[in-house]
Amino acid sequence: MEILKCEGVRKIYGSGNNQVVALDRIDLSVEKGEFVAIVGASGSGKSTLLHMLGSVDQPTEGKIFVEGTDISTMSRTQAAIFRRRKVGLVYQFYNLIPTLTVRKNILMPLALDKRKPNQEYLEQIVDSLGIADKMECLPNELSGGQQQRAAIARSLIYRPALLLGDEPTGNLDRKNSREIIDLLKLSNRNLNQTILLITHDEKVALEADRIVTIEDGRIVSDEKRR
Amino acid sequence: MWREYSADYIKQNRSSGLSIVVAAFIAALFLSFLCSLFYNFWLDNVEGTKMETGDWHGRITGAFHAEDLELIEQFANVEKAVVNEELSGEQKTTVDVLFFNKRTVYRDMEAIRAWFKAAESDVTYNYQLLSLYFIRIPGDSMPRLLMPAYLAVVLIVCVSLILVIHNSFAVSMDSRVHQFGIFSSIGATPGQIRICLLQEAFLLCAAPIFVGLLAGIALSFGTMKAMGMLTAELVGGRQVNFYWHPAVFAGILFLSFLTVLISAWIPANRLSRLTPLEAIKGTAEMQLKKKKRSPILTMLFGVEGELAGNGLKARKKALRTTSLSLMLAFFGFMMMQCFFTLSGISTDYTYFKAYQDVWDVMTTVKDTKIEAFGLTAELKELPGADNTVLYQKAEALCRLPKDAESEELKNLGGVTVFGEEVADDEADFRKVKASVIILDDESFKEFCGQVGIAPRIDGAILLNRIWDSIHSNFRYPQYIPYVREDLDTVVLHRMAAAGEAGQVMDEKDSAKVPVLACTDMTPALREEYGKSDHDLVHFIPLSLWREISGKVGGAEPDCYIRALAGDRTSPEALCALEDEIIKIVGQTYEVESENRIQEKLDNDKMIAGYELVLGGFCVLLAIIGIAHVFSNTQGFLRQRKKEFARYMSIGLTPRGMWKIFCIEALVTVGRPMFLTLVLTIMAMAVMIKASNLNALEFIRVAPVLPILTFIFTVFGFVALAYFLGGRKLSKCELAKTLRGDSMSE
Repeated sequence: MEILKCEGVRKIYGSGNNQVVALDRIDLSVEKGEFVAIVGASGSGKSTLLHMLGSVDQPTEGKIFVEGTDISTMSRTQAAIFRRRKVGLVYQFYNLIPTLTVRKNILMPLALDKRKPNQEYLEQIVDSLGIADKMECLPNELSGGQQQRAAIARSLIYRPALLLGDEPTGNLDRKNSREIIDLLKLSNRNLNQTILLITHDEKVALEADRIVTIEDGRIVSDEKRR
Repeated sequence: MWREYSADYIKQNRSSGLSIVVAAFIAALFLSFLCSLFYNFWLDNVEGTKMETGDWHGRITGAFHAEDLELIEQFANVEKAVVNEELSGEQKTTVDVLFFNKRTVYRDMEAIRAWFKAAESDVTYNYQLLSLYFIRIPGDSMPRLLMPAYLAVVLIVCVSLILVIHNSFAVSMDSRVHQFGIFSSIGATPGQIRICLLQEAFLLCAAPIFVGLLAGIALSFGTMKAMGMLTAELVGGRQVNFYWHPAVFAGILFLSFLTVLISAWIPANRLSRLTPLEAIKGTAEMQLKKKKRSPILTMLFGVEGELAGNGLKARKKALRTTSLSLMLAFFGFMMMQCFFTLSGISTDYTYFKAYQDVWDVMTTVKDTKIEAFGLTAELKELPGADNTVLYQKAEALCRLPKDAESEELKNLGGVTVFGEEVADDEADFRKVKASVIILDDESFKEFCGQVGIAPRIDGAILLNRIWDSIHSNFRYPQYIPYVREDLDTVVLHRMAAAGEAGQVMDEKDSAKVPVLACTDMTPALREEYGKSDHDLVHFIPLSLWREISGKVGGAEPDCYIRALAGDRTSPEALCALEDEIIKIVGQTYEVESENRIQEKLDNDKMIAGYELVLGGFCVLLAIIGIAHVFSNTQGFLRQRKKEFARYMSIGLTPRGMWKIFCIEALVTVGRPMFLTLVLTIMAMAVMIKASNLNALEFIRVAPVLPILTFIFTVFGFVALAYFLGGRKLSKCELAKTLRGDSMSE
């Protein structure tokens, strides 16, 4: 089942002589449950693509469908609600709210929708991520790895269609990186979670089912490994 | 969840909310003070109008009997119907009608008129009173200036407060752009972010607004009481009451919340419109958009000066409220001090110093001709008075031979050179304006002695001087002789009978008056002679005036009693003398009285009152500015941690860091101070020139000390704010900061 589809997506920044083409006619299709790594050099356009897929930014041209819904023309409010319900975003620098406890951070997407959490599912996530005993801590009381686990828990709480990771291991040591990748793989397998991961760490990329390589805003290779 | 987020943030960042709390308190205080004061002024106006015109809404005249009065009172909306005894006669009765609902006064009065079949002209309305209730009825042409003026002032104040305090919210909100970017990235809509920020503003401001509102009411109560105390001592003053109404309280509460929420909405709306990407990438660390130079600071303080200049320029927007508030506070304070100093010099010249030795108690006897005043002898015997003069002023024309002008005046070009209206009636004569001061006979004789002639009461003494307004200004006048010393007679004419040029005037409107002396001396009266229209001043005894008043006329309606006290320095002695005069004269005549020392004290009190209100406003503005600096410097850890870590990583010493802070504090206060100083100097130069004052005279008494005190106090607080912020920053771990880790505040 196709969960994500990009059709001729272009993103141009600036105007006139200062125009920069960040993405140039990207066509991409991802099936439900796939674990895709997007790799490329710095400035190749991979982060820009991820932002488009997460409806954090909008393409200049082209269409992006997530579960059949075109997200490229959504209003800002529609895009926000879409992000809340359909996308889980994990950043390199965790982006947790420093004044809220880990529990409140994780539950924030549900709270924005005025929904009550499913306690069983919450426990399942935090247990599997190993942060059950850190729920009442503030983010700055946690290590980097623990903060990233909390960020992953937050991204999974709404059972999103897509989990998008922007270099989620980029700020972690080798051991923590390994653990985070294992956790992502676990959610991919156990929850059939579709994951798109940006990385320039070859070892991380090799863990994915599929590796998409971007150069100068274009997909130059799309290799299925499993 | 939002409430929890906001509550957590407020709890953990109390200092960041300080400037918001102070701004909300001040906004509520100021609005509450102003609205309460206006409400009281308005009701005071209503009371004053009721006293002046009577407490009635509609008035009907006709042949009414007691039963008709009852009938009128039975009309549904009629509160009261009373016969106006003053206006009622034997044939017709005038009934004053008061209504419960004033808005239907016209309809109800028409119904009453129709019932009694009265003519339209028999019904009148108290337009003046009704206009104060904003009721307009046909035929009413009363201007409605009071309420629009109040509303305009309140609106201006609200807009000014919004302009000033929205930056306080902006600083707090901008510091969390990144956090709202995270919220946005996990699905918070712009509306949710906006509402969250407004809720937070509400949480932060509810208590200060309430307290400010009560404080404002208390302040207006104090002001009204102070005004009551002041006006009670003034002539014609009446009791000032303090009024309060729950509706006014509700209105002020609404206005205060509206002002504060609009102030919060401006940055909240801007922040909610940021895309998640912009917000997440955005950093609290403020950066320069393009290269800036600070040559003066660099020249004065070296590299630290340049860094401080860049730091201030990068945070220019965040410091806008501070600059604006301090600039307004400094400008207001400096202008107020300078204006009152200038006004004091001017008042001294034209009033207190000029008349210091010529009066102690002045009594105006209303609507009384001097020749009809019958208590002169009693006044002369007053035990507490050293000298008492009864006098009246009159306007006339004087027919002068052209060759009667003094040589000095002729050399200037004659009296016409001053541009006064002077008509030649014959080839050798001209008519000039004459001020006639009629003195009681005894006082005139005393003046004869002062001038050095034998006391007589059959002629006039001329004040032989004219203001040379070509070679001097009104502030420092120079006089030249008006007429020849040997002038022996003048002819005074009735002012109203002044004919065209060349026309010989009728003898029945003129009187020939012998000139006893021409002198440049004046009797000790509180008068300014011949300065406004170059008139020839005649001092005439009452006996002579009795003979010529029928022909010359032109006397003012009131006459005056000027008394000099035996003890001229004691306020008690002057008050006793004043009471004594009122006791003697007040029984027979309507009088108004002034007392020199009391006048001076009242004037001083009034200026002190103005200074208190205006100074208070300046202090409020300064508090907003200072609170904003505190809010800014308390956010240093978040805003400038990386900036200073970078400086220190390349060798900036802690001493250098403190030097940068000192320079920033100096510039934060110095720039608005310098700009307003220049503006004040320019404004004062214009004012000094307009008032023809010697600049040195102002400089000698310039209010340097209060202005310096104000500036140094503000600087002290700003320096304290930088010290506290800098201390926080100096405790920060350099290595951790440079790692760029995600950190809370």
